Amino acid sequence: MKREHQESVAAGGGYPAAAGMMSGGKGKMMGMEEEDGGVDELLAALGYKVRASDMADVAQKLEQLEMAMTSSAAQDDAFLSHLASDTVHYNPSDLSTWLESMLSELNAPPPPLPSAPIPNNRSNQFELPPAPAAAVRAPILDPGECSTITTVDFPTPGRQSEYDLKPIPAAPGRVVYGSEPLAEENARDRKRMRTSSSSSSSSRGGGIGVGVGGMGSAMPAATEASSVAAGAATGALPVVVVDSQEAGIRLVHTLMACAEAVQQDNLKAADVLVKQISMLAASQGGAMRKVAGYFAEALARRIYRVHPHQDCSLDAAFSDILEMHFYESCPYLKFAHFTANQAILEAFAGCRRVHVIDFSMKQGMQWPALMQALALRPGGPPSLRLTGIGPPQTDNTDALQQVGWKLAQLADTIHVDFQYRGYVANSLADLEACMFEADASGNGNGGADEEPEVVAVNSVFELHRLLARPGALEKVLGTVRAVRPRIVTMVEQEANHNAGSFLERFTEALHYYSTMFDSLEGGGTAAAAAAEAAVGASMGQQDLVMSEVYLGRQICNVVPCEGTERTERHETLGQWRGRMTRAGFEPVHLGSNAFKQASMLLALFAGGDGYRVEEKEGCLTLGWHTRPLIATSAWRVAAAGAALPAASAAR
Amino acid sequence: MGDMILPLEEEEDMKRRNTFSINDNVDLLVEILGRLDGRSLGVAACVCRLWSSVCRRDSVWEALCNRHVAGGGGGPGTRSVVAALGGYRRLYRLCVGPVLDRLAGGPGRAGWAPTREEAAHLSLSLSLSLFSIDCYERLGGPRQRPASLLFLCKPVNVS
Repeated sequence: MKREHQESVAAGGGYPAAAGMMSGGKGKMMGMEEEDGGVDELLAALGYKVRASDMADVAQKLEQLEMAMTSSAAQDDAFLSHLASDTVHYNPSDLSTWLESMLSELNAPPPPLPSAPIPNNRSNQFELPPAPAAAVRAPILDPGECSTITTVDFPTPGRQSEYDLKPIPAAPGRVVYGSEPLAEENARDRKRMRTSSSSSSSSRGGGIGVGVGGMGSAMPAATEASSVAAGAATGALPVVVVDSQEAGIRLVHTLMACAEAVQQDNLKAADVLVKQISMLAASQGGAMRKVAGYFAEALARRIYRVHPHQDCSLDAAFSDILEMHFYESCPYLKFAHFTANQAILEAFAGCRRVHVIDFSMKQGMQWPALMQALALRPGGPPSLRLTGIGPPQTDNTDALQQVGWKLAQLADTIHVDFQYRGYVANSLADLEACMFEADASGNGNGGADEEPEVVAVNSVFELHRLLARPGALEKVLGTVRAVRPRIVTMVEQEANHNAGSFLERFTEALHYYSTMFDSLEGGGTAAAAAAEAAVGASMGQQDLVMSEVYLGRQICNVVPCEGTERTERHETLGQWRGRMTRAGFEPVHLGSNAFKQASMLLALFAGGDGYRVEEKEGCLTLGWHTRPLIATSAWRVAAAGAALPAASAAR
Repeated sequence: MGDMILPLEEEEDMKRRNTFSINDNVDLLVEILGRLDGRSLGVAACVCRLWSSVCRRDSVWEALCNRHVAGGGGGPGTRSVVAALGGYRRLYRLCVGPVLDRLAGGPGRAGWAPTREEAAHLSLSLSLSLFSIDCYERLGGPRQRPASLLFLCKPVNVS
């Protein structure tokens, strides 16, 4: 059992041991406020049994004891040593009775509860050097003198570092038991917040608009809140005031602390913190609550080493359903499809036979629009061949063929000559270039006078999965080059979830998915309301929820999994640029048409003021406010004159 | 017809013969109705059976969709494709109308302010793309819930 707070708590009751009080201890004090019913679990983790209902009482008594000791410290060494040697000390793990026994030794009646100005006085009190504390500490806790202290366990100095995490801000305005114990915490915390705000600002919290910089503004609020609370406190009636902005900051810090604990393999601390996250998340609203919930689940999976049992048949179909809802509720996939289609359309200008290879067939939602655009282009439509790649479905339904059939029906309606072929593959690396060649039988014409087929390769959110296995991406890119495509369109998440330590990945993912969930909330509410009005059922709401589940599954892959299990290995556009260039491709600039069409598409999304389309070196990115979230890029095989890439994998 | 005093029915009969009724001249009616905007066409369709049948003609809606597009929207090839996908009236109702309404609400996005023609052309091509996706969804069968256009739905409209 960790007992680093034994020192501060047991030593002279509520002695804060100002210099040495750990932030984790603060966290425990914080947790104290939130638990209701039963024994407080955070203190229990330390070995103290305190009933939650007694909390306010215990806090008050600690305060009284401390005041009594400090006020008498100057003249009363005798008193303190009396406390040390002559008093019968009961088991300090039962804090409540232990304090009773200490207080009963005091001759003076408990001092009256101080009034509002206390916070300032308190801070003066803390100027007291730890010397008295040290002096008190030793005699009181001398096991030899106390008869009933059996489980005192002095912490080793090294252990303190475990809780030396980024300080969890006290959020004093947040939950206030209308009495001073918190006031004294507040003063201490204010001090600590000042010194630690610089370090905390380096940790990127969620982009929920509650920036870490908001801590600065939290402090004056804290002062007010604490003084108001202290002023309001007259009796023992606890007053609970929840300030959710403070809670947001705390939530982020608790998440970071938990991730750090996991990184350091301190699973006990991580476990405690994960539960705290859930409690904190419940007090939040909207996007932050959901993101925190998913990240808490992901962390829990990592801590308890839960490996998701991937049931492939259910999984693929379920993923498709989730992705459909994601498609309907927010513009990311539509943006991806429209910009990729525009690039492909431009590449196919003037060609009479075209072939599209789609690595991300799913439900084929990208292709009706391309077919329509090809049908309407001046000069008439070309003959279109589509090859779709999909994962295996073990339940005897051939989803790929069904999609192909639907597309063929549509093509027939709009009079586009269409052929379809579907390939089932566990991984894209299993594909070979020869699979994509046209049938030798052809279209009934003589083989000789057929026009050469122009090929386009399309991949939406698929290539990053290949990074889980070394060498897979290189093989696939080699296959793509062998097919000699006119254009390769690629859409990927714009985030770095693949490099660095666990903590860096966690931080990056927290930022990314917070922004994603924000955009769902912001863009989704209007659409949801509209959809509800239009359709009657709560379909808009369902779309939103399913989209969140879709993103939640990604979170539960990025955070807990490692090795080949972790398939969501997102990389930034810059990183992909490097990979593609090394594999022998050169970038193709997406034209202004794509930009305009994307901008207009975004303008259609109600609540879509937050979405931003940006052009970056010929690639288009879609983001929420200032954060780009997905990026579309187009490539072609580098000119033959350029140096061919080395065959070795450049990972 | 020297008689100055006519029986009531004959007087009315003469009145009828001398008045002009738009409903007698359907071509003229088509010309006029073809210049209305979408909402007014909807209203006009409620006037009488003749007007309703005129307002259902796809050519009227085609003219409406192509109104601001330079070159008139692409000719017979386009017409057959749109007809196959469901017709101009449906295109307007599902896509062009909502798109134009949405875009009228706000000015151009930062960094790009389209000309009127550009906007018209783009909204038509965007609408066609969305229309084709919707048509594709409906191919899934009557059970299928086509929802890709839900984002265009307006919140409850009480006007």
